[in-house]
Amino acid sequence: MVEDSVVQTKQIGKYKVEVIRSKCISAGSCEAIAPGVFALDEEGIATVISQDGNSDDEKLLAAQSCPTDAIVVTDIETGEQVWPKA
Amino acid sequence: MKPQRFIAKLADKEFFNEKFSKYVFEMEEPHRIDFESGQYVSITVDETGDRRSYSVCSNPDTHHSFELLIDHSPQGKGTTFLQNLKFGDEIDVMGPLGRFVLAPDKGEDEIVFIATGSGIAPFRSMILYLLQDLGEKRPVTLYWGLRHEENLFWQNDFQDLVDEYENFKFHPVLSRGSEEWPLCKGRVTDCLAVHDLPAKGCYYLCGNAKMIEDVNTLLLSKGVVAEDVHFEKFY
Ligand SMILES: Cc1cc2nc3c(=O)[nH]c(=O)nc-3n(C[C@H](O)[C@H](O)[C@H](O)COP(=O)(O)OP(=O)(O)OC[C@H]3O[C@@H](n4cnc5c(N)ncnc54)[C@H](O)[C@@H]3O)c2cc1C
Ligand code: SF4
Repeated sequence: MVEDSVVQTKQIGKYKVEVIRSKCISAGSCEAIAPGVFALDEEGIATVISQDGNSDDEKLLAAQSCPTDAIVVTDIETGEQVWPKA
Repeated sequence: MKPQRFIAKLADKEFFNEKFSKYVFEMEEPHRIDFESGQYVSITVDETGDRRSYSVCSNPDTHHSFELLIDHSPQGKGTTFLQNLKFGDEIDVMGPLGRFVLAPDKGEDEIVFIATGSGIAPFRSMILYLLQDLGEKRPVTLYWGLRHEENLFWQNDFQDLVDEYENFKFHPVLSRGSEEWPLCKGRVTDCLAVHDLPAKGCYYLCGNAKMIEDVNTLLLSKGVVAEDVHFEKFY
């Protein structure tokens, strides 16, 4: 919970991203497009290193470029899932 | 090379067979693409912004255009979008993307490429670059698994490379080859099991996830270290 509030106060944009680890195939597009937000860990799986390292547009583009829809983008103001589209 | 968005235009399409075609895209804005062999591009395939990834199959020494090799069989958004493109149509592309590139030469004895189906795409780019541009002298071997004879393409091009470069070997493998098929028959792993696989080789695997898992297990059982096995899963 404490960690959550730290992320929230640091957040600049309105999009929050999460990676579904089981879906990640280590293709690395997210890291290339939004390197301030995503990094591949030692297993080659994408992790979120910061919510505010790139703009909302870059976060969304990273999610749209993920070949397996492993990145979920949520609008924190409305709670709506922005990507993948339902 | 940081990925960027660009516009490219369909300039040519080569129909190989029912399953596979090659697409040539000419750069529009900007006019130049720089990428490493093995990397892929991400293409917008519908109005919601959905994208699909495709490996560049051309040599990175060409900068005004890039080529993609497409397996049309999935018939989802990506493949139908590409299939419906007409000459001159523009596409919205993001790239280059991906870390599946040639690893630095660590003195391995041999470089081995193992593909199934459209997994050949990044390898065509890597092999052309290795042989024609880098002048690679170590043995370079390509194993390529397809289903039937009718699915085959590029075999003459790879045979030309075999004739031109004595260090290059090419093994097409058909899982459902006819009686007449003279070369390896079965899955790629069956073919690999009967060939010498150097423990100190540099291996690149590309194609479906199951093949990659199976080949990786086989290689590790033969003493190849995990760091020397590089792979890209297409699906
Ligand atoms: C890094 C990367 C590079 C890729 N490079 C290429 C490439 O160079 N050429 C290419 O043709 N494809 C490539 N792909 C696959 C491509 O991105 C799409 O997944 C494929 O074209 C299917 O998209 P679709 O929208 O038509 O079908 P979808 O509706 O997205 O998928 C339909 C089904 O087909 C499966 N599928 C995906 N690809 C194949 C395939 N080749 N054969 C059989 N089933 C498949 C999917 O798992 C899914 O179950 C690559 C994928 C990745 C992750
Ligand atoms: S783009 Fe998707 S599959 Fe690729 S590393 Fe990022 S989360 Fe994983």
